[in-house]
Amino acid sequence: MSSEILDIQDLNLPVGSNASGYKENTEVIDYKMVTFSLGGKDYGIDIMKVKEISKAAKFTFVPNSIPFVKGVYNLRGDIISVIDLRVMFNLPIPESNSAPENMIILRLEDNVLGVIVDTIDKVVAISSLRIQPPHPLFGDINIKFIKGIVENDDKLYIIIDVESVFDQKSADAAMKKRPVHSSVKGAEAQIEAPAARVPGTAAGDIDYSFIVETLATFSKFSVSQFNEGWIKSRYSTWVQQRKSSGQSVQLKSGIDSDEFLSGFSSPYSGLFWDKDYADMITELLPETDNANYSAWDVGCGKGEEAYSLASALKKRYGSKRIKINANDRDLLSISTAPNLVFSKNTVPEIYDEYITEGKNGWHFVSLIKDLILFEYHDVTNGNQLPPVDLIIARDVISFQPRDDQQKLCDMFYEKLKPGGILIAGANELVFTEGWVPVGNGLVSAYRKN
Amino acid sequence: MRVEYINPFVEAAFNILKEVVDSDIKRGELYLKSTSQPVLGVAAIVGLAGDVEGRVLFDMNADTALGIASKMNGEDLTEFDDLAKATITELANMITAQAVTKLHELGFTFDLTPPAIFTGENMEVSDSGVEALIVPIELSYGKMEINVAVRER
Repeated sequence: MSSEILDIQDLNLPVGSNASGYKENTEVIDYKMVTFSLGGKDYGIDIMKVKEISKAAKFTFVPNSIPFVKGVYNLRGDIISVIDLRVMFNLPIPESNSAPENMIILRLEDNVLGVIVDTIDKVVAISSLRIQPPHPLFGDINIKFIKGIVENDDKLYIIIDVESVFDQKSADAAMKKRPVHSSVKGAEAQIEAPAARVPGTAAGDIDYSFIVETLATFSKFSVSQFNEGWIKSRYSTWVQQRKSSGQSVQLKSGIDSDEFLSGFSSPYSGLFWDKDYADMITELLPETDNANYSAWDVGCGKGEEAYSLASALKKRYGSKRIKINANDRDLLSISTAPNLVFSKNTVPEIYDEYITEGKNGWHFVSLIKDLILFEYHDVTNGNQLPPVDLIIARDVISFQPRDDQQKLCDMFYEKLKPGGILIAGANELVFTEGWVPVGNGLVSAYRKN
Repeated sequence: MRVEYINPFVEAAFNILKEVVDSDIKRGELYLKSTSQPVLGVAAIVGLAGDVEGRVLFDMNADTALGIASKMNGEDLTEFDDLAKATITELANMITAQAVTKLHELGFTFDLTPPAIFTGENMEVSDSGVEALIVPIELSYGKMEINVAVRER
């Protein structure tokens, strides 16, 4: 019987591949189910599996049977076993008032059995194409017993896959697991236990990995060996902070995710460096006899970083020929960089000698501007840049997909001259061989060996 | 891709196409692409030399190309013949030339190579080490992608 139904469904599948259009036109009614309710919810069973329905009482109790077996019943001479689905599925049982129970008699492959339900509703005919796979959040019944969900007349029916429910093997297994004298309550506890165990022991891990996923979605931030240290310590303060304010630990939007990452970005991101920070960077730069000094500023944004660097390099290596390649993959930011204008009070005093007032506002003098070549460039695409003395890539690696991060780090290594310096984000750490940490305080820097 | 180069190409493409082809055109989001890129079916190419080196590729499918050629010639062309090819080549020349003129005014010197046109199916273009700026343009005849790959010498 079941194979027939499957055949019909199979035949319809090719048409169903453009299901939306098909649904609107004609609908082949090829699936009927007997609907009933259990614990106030609507369920259905394939009518081909149902032999008949009846009301019955006076079941003969069988000693030593599993709790959901109500007993045996004499169906016009045939002895069938009767199962109470409410006990089996751990649903509330109405107060017993000795009224006859509603029973659906199922004809399965190798036996006939009766199941007791709250109320039997009617036969509903639908198109099998409208059966949708069960959603993992669907309730009281273990998902592997659910064939699908279907909507009819504003009611949602959960279609129970009776073959899998009463599969002989799983029944055997169930029998072995249960203690012989277990009460209904005992059975409930056993059913609930596995479900409760999962979130119980691993709640922290699940929240953490969920945050890792949502950071990638909302902020394109990939947690990896480069930034894991910061993320883990941030996670523990985050949990406390959110719990004390009664908010969910999980990140629900870009706002949450930005808040989570606040504090990650390096100092003076999007700002001109002040004297202390510029000095910290300058200290890292070694003496060199070379007449040229080249730097590569990856992810320069609107250009503040590049101008700050150019000014710092000018002071450090005034007589050398300095060249800075600055690029960003955000077109809007990089477009404003070559002609960046700002108001005087946003710029620390150390830049006074390099800025001048123009028609639209203050800008850097060409002495500094000409040191920098701004390019619209995505660093993951590769480039023909000759080797450089300094790479500034603050908070760049963390915002690449996880798989690209190590590649990028390797590329930085390749693009640096021997002894060259890589400045990473303040909270980014590079562990790869060949890098010597030379950072101090706020600056995370590495020298190529 | 140097930031200063982007706008001249986008503006030139927009102005020329609006003037000679279609008053109702839309520009899509610009983006960067690297490695090999599939070509839709008709590709007109103009080389650049001078302060920079590179090329501009105008990429569209055959129907779009035919639509544009018909419009520019003021007659209905039914096959992609020499006239249609010459028309698309000329369009590529006009756009690139205007962009280069704009760049010249900004102080960058470019030279152009004569345009060439490629047609065929399943074509791919790859230039190693140069990423291309893609300017997608929506015309009523279909989509055109302007693919600019230039690098400093």
